[in-house]
Amino acid sequence: MSNPNSQLIKKPDLDDPKLRAKLAQNMGHHYYGEIAWPNDILYMFPVCILGTLGLIVGLSILDPAMIGEPADPFATPLEILPEWYLYPVFQILRVLPNKLLGIACQAAIPLGLMLIPFIESVNKFQNPFRRPIAMTVFLFGTAVTLWLGAGSIFPIDKSLTLGLF
Amino acid sequence: MRDHSFLTDMAQKITKIILVAIVSVCLFLASDIVLPQSANAYPFWAQETAPKTPREATGRIVCANCHLAAKPAEVEIPQSVLPDTVFEAVVKIPYDHSAQQVLGDGSKGGLNVGAVLMLPDGFQIAPDDRISEELKEKVNGAYFQAYNEEHPNWVIVGPLPGDSYEEIVFPVLSPDPTTDPNIHYGKYSVHLGANRGRGQVYPTGQLSNNNLFKAPVAGTVSTITEAEDGAYSVTITAEDGNVTTVDIPAGPQLIVAEGQQVVVAEPLTNDPNVGGFGQKDTEVVLQSPTRILWLLVFIAGIMLSQILLVLKKKQIEKVQEAGMYF
Repeated sequence: MSNPNSQLIKKPDLDDPKLRAKLAQNMGHHYYGEIAWPNDILYMFPVCILGTLGLIVGLSILDPAMIGEPADPFATPLEILPEWYLYPVFQILRVLPNKLLGIACQAAIPLGLMLIPFIESVNKFQNPFRRPIAMTVFLFGTAVTLWLGAGSIFPIDKSLTLGLF
Repeated sequence: MRDHSFLTDMAQKITKIILVAIVSVCLFLASDIVLPQSANAYPFWAQETAPKTPREATGRIVCANCHLAAKPAEVEIPQSVLPDTVFEAVVKIPYDHSAQQVLGDGSKGGLNVGAVLMLPDGFQIAPDDRISEELKEKVNGAYFQAYNEEHPNWVIVGPLPGDSYEEIVFPVLSPDPTTDPNIHYGKYSVHLGANRGRGQVYPTGQLSNNNLFKAPVAGTVSTITEAEDGAYSVTITAEDGNVTTVDIPAGPQLIVAEGQQVVVAEPLTNDPNVGGFGQKDTEVVLQSPTRILWLLVFIAGIMLSQILLVLKKKQIEKVQEAGMYF
């Protein structure tokens, strides 16, 4: 298949004006290349689907999910923790001494996310490497989220240093 | 007629209850004389203070109510076990073996260890005839006891000398769902509570001598008297003239002197406690051998179909290469 003269590789038809227009916009790459039907879709997709199925069935048999204890609304757990995806916001609530400020920060998260498309639309580039400020803000935000999330499972006096310092 | 039989029934029941009560009281008194309580130490107290379950609704093992210091504890248990099989659950209670704790009379001595292991329903300590010689050696004569009659799967052990039982091996027999309809295959939780050393509080709420004693009021230490057995009596005179006496049993060492000013909650003694309690929660899977067999068959079937699909693709590619389209 690596042979470019092979019938299995469809070459781009550069006489086609529609394709040329798409290529000029860095699009239309699915008009040429290796044949999807039936080679990939009929034969290789089922290989992946079956593999995934085997992994899931194997995991569910070898490490089944545990049936938890019956819920008791009068027994407050000694360590209160939400689901893992709420760890970072839980940590914000926990470390901020002013609860009103904590609630305000909770509201600021969805509001800030909603503002992103409006702010970002001023930038004409799509490539993240051409948007250094957006990239920096995103990476910094990711690092802070991971830090807050990891801190939420530590006791409060160690939660900001993660017990490292 | 009905009333009459009902009354005799009641009378019989009451007599039975009274008899049981008398017998149990006698047993308790007799056991106190034959086996002094101090020899029974913590498992006895855990059973006494929390007879139904050693695990509180919050998930905490009750040992933590008296053994106040937090120390690590580990339990090594297989990820999954087959039914009706003997396996070992290894409980590790690490501590510094050069340390000595204060004993009940104030003298120094080695630490004891003890543990409660809450196995899932149906699991129990393996009977002697099921334990191999090799496993018997590892168990090293440790004596396991059911927490209460309803739950032979909750096992307590101890007190054992910590120097020879830093690792306690529990020989566990897994249940068989094919013979016991109440047992099902699946994953179950295992809870361990493990202690080393003596506790800080007795079940009655009194402080033991394995404790840090603090000044209850602010003031001046006016007199310190030492009793023959090593106990101290510290008198603190507050500024308004009120006199408070703190009785410190033999064991902890005094760190205040007469005439010293103390504030509220200032330590009067050092902290003699070197032990502590550790809890570990883990899981074990009771695995069905037939499920494993069918899983292997299923995985083999998947691998075969994947190979066949790849071969079919290769065949189709040859047809495409030849430029044959049907």
